[in-house]
Amino acid sequence: MVRMATQKIRPLLYGMLGAFGVGLSFIALLMLSQVAKNSENFDQLANSILWVNILCLLVLMILLIGNLSKLYRDYRSHVPGSKLKARMVGMFVGLAIIPLLIVFYFSMQFINRGIDTWFNIEVEAGLDDALTLSRNALAIQMRDHLAATEQIAERLRLTDQRQFIYEIGSLRQEIGASELTLFGRNGRMIATNSDQTAGIAPKGLSDELLLQVRQNRPYVSLDPLSDGSYEIRTAVPLIEGRNLDVIGTIRSRFGVSQRIGRMVNSIDSSYTDYKKIVYLRAPLKRTFSLTLTVVLMISLLASIYGAFVLSRRLVSPIQNLVEGTRAVAKGDFDTQLPIPTGDEIGFLINSFNEMTRGLSLARKQASMSQNLVEAERANLEIILANLSTGVISLESNLKIRTVNKAAGAILNVDFNGRTGDLLSDVATGNSVLQELYDVVKRQLDQGVTIWQDQIVVHAVKGRRVLTCACTDLSSEAGEEVGFVVVFDDITLQLQSQRDAAWGEVARRLAHEIKNPLTPIQLSAERLRKKYLDTMSVEDGEILDRSTHIIVEQVAAMRDMVNAFSDYARAPDMDVSSFNIEDLINEVIDLYKEQAATINIQFNIEAPIDNLDADPGRIRQMMHNLIRNSIEAIDTRQNGFIKIDAKQLDIQQRKMIAIRVEDNGGGFKEESLGQIFDPYVTSKPKGTGLGLAIVKKLVEEHMGSIEAKNTKKQGALISILLPLNEKTREAIITNLQNHQDNGRGLA
Amino acid sequence: MIRLNMHKILVNLLSLILLFSALNVSAQMRPNHEGYFDVRSATTILDQKNYLLDARLQLFLSDEALNALNSGVPLTIELNIEIIRSRRFLPDAKEDELQFQYELEYRPLSQRYIVKDVQGGTQDSYATLFSALNKLGKVQDLILTQNSSLDPQANYRFRLQALLSTKQYSAPLRMLFFWRNQWDLKSEWFEWQLKR
Repeated sequence: MVRMATQKIRPLLYGMLGAFGVGLSFIALLMLSQVAKNSENFDQLANSILWVNILCLLVLMILLIGNLSKLYRDYRSHVPGSKLKARMVGMFVGLAIIPLLIVFYFSMQFINRGIDTWFNIEVEAGLDDALTLSRNALAIQMRDHLAATEQIAERLRLTDQRQFIYEIGSLRQEIGASELTLFGRNGRMIATNSDQTAGIAPKGLSDELLLQVRQNRPYVSLDPLSDGSYEIRTAVPLIEGRNLDVIGTIRSRFGVSQRIGRMVNSIDSSYTDYKKIVYLRAPLKRTFSLTLTVVLMISLLASIYGAFVLSRRLVSPIQNLVEGTRAVAKGDFDTQLPIPTGDEIGFLINSFNEMTRGLSLARKQASMSQNLVEAERANLEIILANLSTGVISLESNLKIRTVNKAAGAILNVDFNGRTGDLLSDVATGNSVLQELYDVVKRQLDQGVTIWQDQIVVHAVKGRRVLTCACTDLSSEAGEEVGFVVVFDDITLQLQSQRDAAWGEVARRLAHEIKNPLTPIQLSAERLRKKYLDTMSVEDGEILDRSTHIIVEQVAAMRDMVNAFSDYARAPDMDVSSFNIEDLINEVIDLYKEQAATINIQFNIEAPIDNLDADPGRIRQMMHNLIRNSIEAIDTRQNGFIKIDAKQLDIQQRKMIAIRVEDNGGGFKEESLGQIFDPYVTSKPKGTGLGLAIVKKLVEEHMGSIEAKNTKKQGALISILLPLNEKTREAIITNLQNHQDNGRGLA
Repeated sequence: MIRLNMHKILVNLLSLILLFSALNVSAQMRPNHEGYFDVRSATTILDQKNYLLDARLQLFLSDEALNALNSGVPLTIELNIEIIRSRRFLPDAKEDELQFQYELEYRPLSQRYIVKDVQGGTQDSYATLFSALNKLGKVQDLILTQNSSLDPQANYRFRLQALLSTKQYSAPLRMLFFWRNQWDLKSEWFEWQLKR
C-alpha cells in the first residue's frame, strides 16, 4: 500500500521538481538578459542571479542523476520499455548536444575573434604617436611659459617687491599669462593679476607645487579643466641674496588655445577610450564566455532532462501496454489503460482497452453461467440429499460421481469420501451394494443402459426388495458420459400390500368357510347318531371313524378360520397403563403346566415403568410368541424359552425392548425375510399366522419387530415398543413427516 | 549503448564544470595586491548652522583597480554617511542617508590624475596617484546637515563608510567584478556620537 502510494507520489515530485528547475532556468536566463540590458540593477540582481543559477543547476543535476540512475536500474532489471527509453534518451540528448556544442563553439569563436578585431596595432601605434606629438607640442609651450615666468622672477629679484605690485599687470600682459600671482615665504598671496574681469580670488598653492618650489625647482604642469579646456601652470621660486634663500613663489597660469585644447582633448579621449577598450577586452571575453557557458550548461541540462521527459511520455504508453498485456496474460481482464493521445499509439491502446473489455465481459458471462450451473448443482444436491430414494451417478467406467444420503441409508454404506472410487471397490464387503452392483454391471455388460427392475437383496436385517432404475447420461454432443442409478427400498410397501391382501383373504375365508362348517359338523354328528346303531359293528366303526374325522377336521378348520379371523380383525385399541412384568408372568404361568419339560425364564434387568398399550393385544402377542417357541421346541430335549425385558432411551424416546429366544431350531434361512408373512412357517403343524399376527399387533402399537436365528440353533424375536403415548405420537409424527417429505420430493 | 551515452554525458558535464572552475581559478591567481579602504578618524563640527564633516581616510587601491585606472577606466569612490537617532526603547532610527561621490581619473596626455567632485562639479589634478588619493583621504568641511533639522533633545550618531563603487560600469564589467575580491573595496563603518 505504502509502496503503491510512493510509486504514485514519486512521478509527481519529479514533475514538480522538473517544472521548478525549468522555471528557474528561465528566470536565470531572464535575469542575465535583464542585467545585460541595464547594469543599474546588477547590485540587486547579482546575488539572485548567482543563487538562481546555482539552484537551477543543482535542481537539474538532481533530476538528471535521479533519472539516469532510474534508467540504469530499469535497464539492468530489464524493465519493459527501458531499452527503448534508453535509446530515445540517447537520441534526444545527441540531437540536443550536437547543435548546442556547435553553437557554443562558434559563439566562442565569434566572441573572441569579434572582440579582437576591435583592436589594431596600427591604430594603437598611431594613437601613441599622436599622444607623443601632442605632449611634445604642449611641452614646447610649457617650456616657453616657464622661461617667461623665470624671467619675471629674475627681474623681481633685482627690483623692489613693492614696485612689482604696481607692475604685475603689465608683466602678466607681457608674458601673455591669464593670471600672475606672487606668494610670500609662508605661501601667503602678496599680489595677483588676472585677465578675469570678475574678481575671483585665485586658489592657493597646491602641496605638490609648494614641495617642488621649496626644493628650489621650477614647476610646470598641464592641467585639464572641468570645462574641457587646458591650462599650463608654472611656478618658480623667488630667490634672494648670496645664500639663495627662497623668499617667495611666482605662479603664472596660461590658457591653451581652444583649437589646440579641442585637439588635445580629442587625442586624449581617443587614447583613453582605446586603452579602456584594450583593458576591457579580456574581462569582456571572460564575461561573455562565462555567460555563454552558464547558458550552455543550463540549456544542456534542461535539454537532457527534456529528453528524459519526452522519452518518458513516448515510452510510457508502450510500457503501459506491456504491463497491460502481462496483466491480461495473468488473467486480469479488467485492465484499462489511459489513452495518452489521439495518435496511432492512442488507437492501439484504445483497441487494447476494447479487447480487455470484451474479454472481461465474456469472463463475467462465463462466471455467471458457472454460478448458475453451480447453483443448479447445489439445488440438485439438496434435492438429492433430501430424497428418500437412493441416487448414485456413475461415470462411464463406473466410478462414483455423486451419491445422496438416502442411497447410503438404503444400502447401509458410508459413501463419505468415496466419490471417485470404483463402485465395485466400495461394494466389496457390503452384500447389498454388491448385489446391486452385480445387477448394474450385468445390465451394462449386456449393453442395456436404460432399464428398470425390481431386485431382491439380502441384508443383515433380512430380505429387502429394491426397485431400481438406470439411465445413461449424455453430453450435449450426444456422447455417453455416465449413468445414474435410482433405487428405493419397497420392502415395507410390499409388506403392507401383502398384509392388506392377506387381511382381505382372511376376511373372505372366515366369511366363506366358517358358514358351511357348522352344517357340516351337525350333519356329520346327525349321520353318526342316526345310523351308528343301525349298522353292523364293522360298518359302524367305519361310520364312527369317518364322522369323528369330519367333526375333528371341521373343528380344525374352525380354529383355522378363527385364526384368520383374528388376523383380519382390527378392533379399536383399548389403551391403558399396566405393568408389563406382571402381564408376562401371567402368560408364562399359563404355559408352565402345559409345557413342563420346557424351561421358561423371564429376566428383567431393572424396574420398568408402566406400559401404555392395549393389554389384550400385548397378552395375545406374548401368547403367540411363547406358543410359537413351544411348538418349535416340540419334543426337543433341554428346551428353553428365555424372555428378557428392559426399558431403553432411544433418541430421547422411552421404549421397551422384549426379546424372546428359544432353542427350537430357528427359522429356515431362505424364508427368514418372509417370516412375518402369513402362511410362512417352519413348523409341520403351524398355520403360519402366529408371527404374522404378532407383527401386526406390534405395528398397531407403532413398534418394530425383528427375527433372526441364534448361534444355538434357535430363534430370536426382538420387539421394540413405545413406552407411552407421548413416544408413540412422536413416532407417528416422525413417520408422517418422513412420508410427506418423501412424497413432496418425489 | 546506454553506457556509452552516459559516459559521454558525464564527460561533457565534467568538462563544463572544469571549464567553469578554471575560469574562476585563473581569475583568483592574478597579481594579488588586495588594497583596502579605512576610515581612520571622523568628527563633526558645528559651523554656525551646519554640521561639517572632517575625516581622514586611508585609500589603497588594489592592483586591478590601479590597472583599470591607468587604462583609462575612471574609478568612483563613494562616501556613505548615515545619521542615526538613538532611541531608548525602540530600535535606533535612521534619520538620513548621504552619499558623496568622487571620481578619480587618469589623463594620459597630461599624465595627471583628476579628482572630480561628482555632485559639486569641481575638479583638481595631481601629478601623482599618491597626491590624488591623499587629497581624497582628507575630507574637510563637508556639509552634512543643518543644525535645525536635528532634534535638540535627541542623541545622534553618525556612520561613515568609504567604498569603491562599480555601479557606473557596464554589465559585462560588473559581472566580472562580481567574482573579483579586488573590486570589493569597502571600509568598515566608522561610528561616532554627535557632540553638541
